[in-house]
Parts: sequence; C-alpha cells; structure tokens
Amino acid sequence: MHIEVWQIILLTLLAFWMIIDQLTVVVLGNYPLLVGLVAGIIMGDIKTGLAVGGTLQLMVLGVGTYGGASVPDFLTGAVVGTAFAVASGKGLDFAIGLAVPVGLLMVQLDVLARFTNTFFLHRVDKNINLNNTKGVERNIIYGALPWGLSRAIPVLLMLTLGSKVVDVIINKMPEWLTDGLKVAGGVLPVVGIAILLRYLPTKKFFSYLIVGFVLAAYIKVPMLGVALIGLAMGLVYYNSRKDGVKGTVAVGSESEVATDDDEYED
Amino acid sequence: MMTNTKISKEKAKELHRANRRWLWGSQICWNYERMMSTGFLYAVLPTLQKLYKDQELVDMMNVHNQFFNTNPFVGPLIVGMDIAIEEKEGSKAKETVAGLKTGLMGPFAGIGDTLFGVILPTILGSIGAYMALKGNVTGAVLWILVNFAVIFIRYPLLRLGYQQGAKLVNEYGERLNLLTDSAILLGMTVVGALIPTVVNATVPFVYHSGKVTLKMQSMLDQIMPSLVPALLVFLVYWLLGKPKVTSTKMILFVLVLSIVLSAFKILG
Repeated sequence: MHIEVWQIILLTLLAFWMIIDQLTVVVLGNYPLLVGLVAGIIMGDIKTGLAVGGTLQLMVLGVGTYGGASVPDFLTGAVVGTAFAVASGKGLDFAIGLAVPVGLLMVQLDVLARFTNTFFLHRVDKNINLNNTKGVERNIIYGALPWGLSRAIPVLLMLTLGSKVVDVIINKMPEWLTDGLKVAGGVLPVVGIAILLRYLPTKKFFSYLIVGFVLAAYIKVPMLGVALIGLAMGLVYYNSRKDGVKGTVAVGSESEVATDDDEYED
Repeated sequence: MMTNTKISKEKAKELHRANRRWLWGSQICWNYERMMSTGFLYAVLPTLQKLYKDQELVDMMNVHNQFFNTNPFVGPLIVGMDIAIEEKEGSKAKETVAGLKTGLMGPFAGIGDTLFGVILPTILGSIGAYMALKGNVTGAVLWILVNFAVIFIRYPLLRLGYQQGAKLVNEYGERLNLLTDSAILLGMTVVGALIPTVVNATVPFVYHSGKVTLKMQSMLDQIMPSLVPALLVFLVYWLLGKPKVTSTKMILFVLVLSIVLSAFKILG
C-alpha cells in the first residue's frame, strides 16, 4: 500500500483545519461524513470516503461537543480510516475497524488541547493588566495552535509511520475479528441514535418517533420523504400553537399560556 | 426589526467587525478554566478600546475575560446586547453586563445547541449518511451548502441583539421555545426512520431439529420489521440512563458485544 507525499500533506492540513472549522465557521463541522468526503476526494476515491464518513456519522449523531465535553474524535478516525482503506484496497469494514479505536484514543489529545489553552488564557490575563491590547489579541489567536496540532500531528504520524504497522495489522487480523467488526459497523449507529434520544425530550415526542419508524420500516419511505412528512407535522404543530404564545408575554406568561384552550404543555 | 433605531454606516461597520471577530474567535482559545471568556473579549475588544482608556479599559477587559460559555451560533445576540448597553451606560454598567452575560448564556446555549448542534445535524446528517452509504454524494454536498447558508443566518443576530437589547428575550422567548419544539418534532420523526434504515442487525441463527428448520430472522420479521434494531436502540438508551455510563463506554460495549455475538453467529 502506498500514500503519496502530497496526499499526506493535504490530509494533515485537513486534520488541522477540521478542528478549527468546527470552532469557527462550521462548514465541515464535527461531522465525519463531510470530513470523510474531503478525505475521499484527496485519496481519489469519493465512494470510500463517503461510506467511511457516513458510517461514522451515524455513530455520533447525538454526540455534540458543546459544553466542553470531549467525545470520540471520529473526524480523525474518518481521515485515517479513509486513507488506509483506499491505500490498502481493503474497503469499508477495515476502515471502520481502524477509525473507531483511533477516534477513541484521540479523545485524550482533545483533552490535552483544551488544557493547553489555559496557558494562553493566563498570558491574556497578563497582557490585560499591562493594557497591551495587541498582546491580548495575539494570545487569543495562539489558541488555534494547540487545537490544530492536536489533530494534525497524530494524523501525520499515523500516515507516515503507520503504513508498515497497518500492513502487519491487515495481514494478521483473524477472521472472527474482521467478521465481528463488519457486524459492529452495522450495529454501532445504535449508540448515536440512543444518545440523541437521551438528549432530546423523547418522552414528550415519542409518538413522532413511532411515526418515523413505521414510515421507514413498514412503508419503506425514503429518508427525504420522511423528513418532509416530519416538516409538515412540525409546521402544523407550530401554527396550531403560535397564537397561544403570542406577544404580550413579559411576566406571568406561563400561566396565561397554560390556561389557553389549546393543549400547549410545559 | 421592529424598532426605528437607525444604524449609521459607521455603526454597521463596527457591528460587522464584532460579528467577524466572534465567528473566528469565539472558541479559538477555549479552555477548561474559563471556556469562551477570551472569545467574548475578542469580539468586543475594538468597542472597548473605543469607549474606554487606561485603567478603565483594563478593568473592562478583565470584566469580559470571566467565565463564559454559550452556543456559538446564538452568542452574537448577547454580544449585540452588551455593545448596546455599554455604549449607553459605559463602565457603570459593569455589573449589569456581567449579570446579563451569565444570565443569558445558559438559556441561549439550550436553544442554540438544540437547533444548531443537534436537530440540524441530525436531519441533514441522517439524509446525508443514508445517501452516502448508497454511494450518493448529493446529501453531503447539500449539507455543506446548508452550513454555508447558516453562516449568513447567524449574521443578523448580533444586530438584532444590539437593536432590541434585553427586550428580545421577553418578547421572543416563548416563540423560540415553540420553534425549538417544532424542530425537535421533525428531528424525532427522522430519527424514528433512521432506526430501520441505518442499523444493520439481523439474526442468522437457524434452528435444526430433524426435518424442521426454523429461521430466526423470518420469525422476528413476522412480529415486526426491524425488531432487533429497535430493541438494541432501546437497550442502549436504557443503559445510558444509568449513572456513570458514558457515550464512549457505550461505543466500546457495542463494539465488543457485536464481535462476541457475531462469533457465535447470533448477530450478522
């Protein structure tokens, strides 16, 4: 297997950018699907990139990085998984088997980056008290370095040193493990979905979960069709309740709303 | 929107700059100690420099470098309010501003995280991943385009915060909750459809007894299609409610469970 030098450089830059992106403009976000797509383009195999990214995406659907919690870094998993899957020609299951452990290990580096930035925070404090606004700005921007490097360095290392190691892994992996990983790839989206349901007010909206399930499982409506039906139901929900919560508000609005004759409940 | 406050060209430029600085700076120095404090400071710094000098400037910079954490998408609303208040009241408003920031960051984080952090990625991610697994790039490209659009949707928020000030929360609070609920409803429907389409778990187990063979999966299908995926989701959902169970532990659990069950030909 072989990965070109320019591909390694581009993938390393992608690794640096993808974390900066999710902290700023959120175009690729913390979404493995989109990072997998870009990695697939770099490796010249969009289909594999999409499959790797899409599978990982389903595993992290409900996992947000907000509030400061570190979550499995399946973005790095998507980059490394796609690169090695394309280079070795071993396909999706191999990529997922690689991406999941990489994603889990990378959590430690996310923690490290979040910790390192405390150093720059204290330099910001120092510059504030010196009334050095340029220094304040500079040290805030330096925060990008721990973030970017925490992803770029491991990716660079894995891509340059890893090909031999990965060769060994490919050839030594027993069949029960490769079969098991294949099954795991199909089952792991369960975790993403369950986390999502934990985050959302599932009990309140459980009926709509059933509607979506029946539409897809029994009637085989494609995803976009289900989303459109969901949109229609959402619009009905909004319109039927919006008059109850209109305008006046300020104080005591809760009780006003509750006594309105629609069934808006809190 | 509904006020007559005219915003001068110069003012618009200043708000534009704060917006840009928030977009690029709000989380760039995120850290465990004060989270987004530096991000807020970075966004309002030019305004502070315009309003204050010397020790007053130092004091206000310190005020804005205190603990702050909210959703980056809706954060500009708070930045806008802050600029409006400080322009009027100056550093006298030190405590008002600090209270406003800490009071609003939580509720705003709740709405913003739900809409932009969960619902939007759930809907677009579900559609995109579903198409991607079929080798179709359309969903992913659509998602990227929407993400670009969101940057521009974020943009007017700072101005809205500046014009409406604290009034905003009172007037639109209930509406926003309703909008969030409607979006959750849509997301919930999509998640329901995700379970049978993306979870791939069948039972290849076949029971032989004399001439009788029983195929486990076809029996399960007669009860309900996609019964196993639904049960697995329920199991993990239930386990996640237990104390000390984290998402990382669950991923490891499912990984090991799949490998073991597949070795015994129970899952395939």
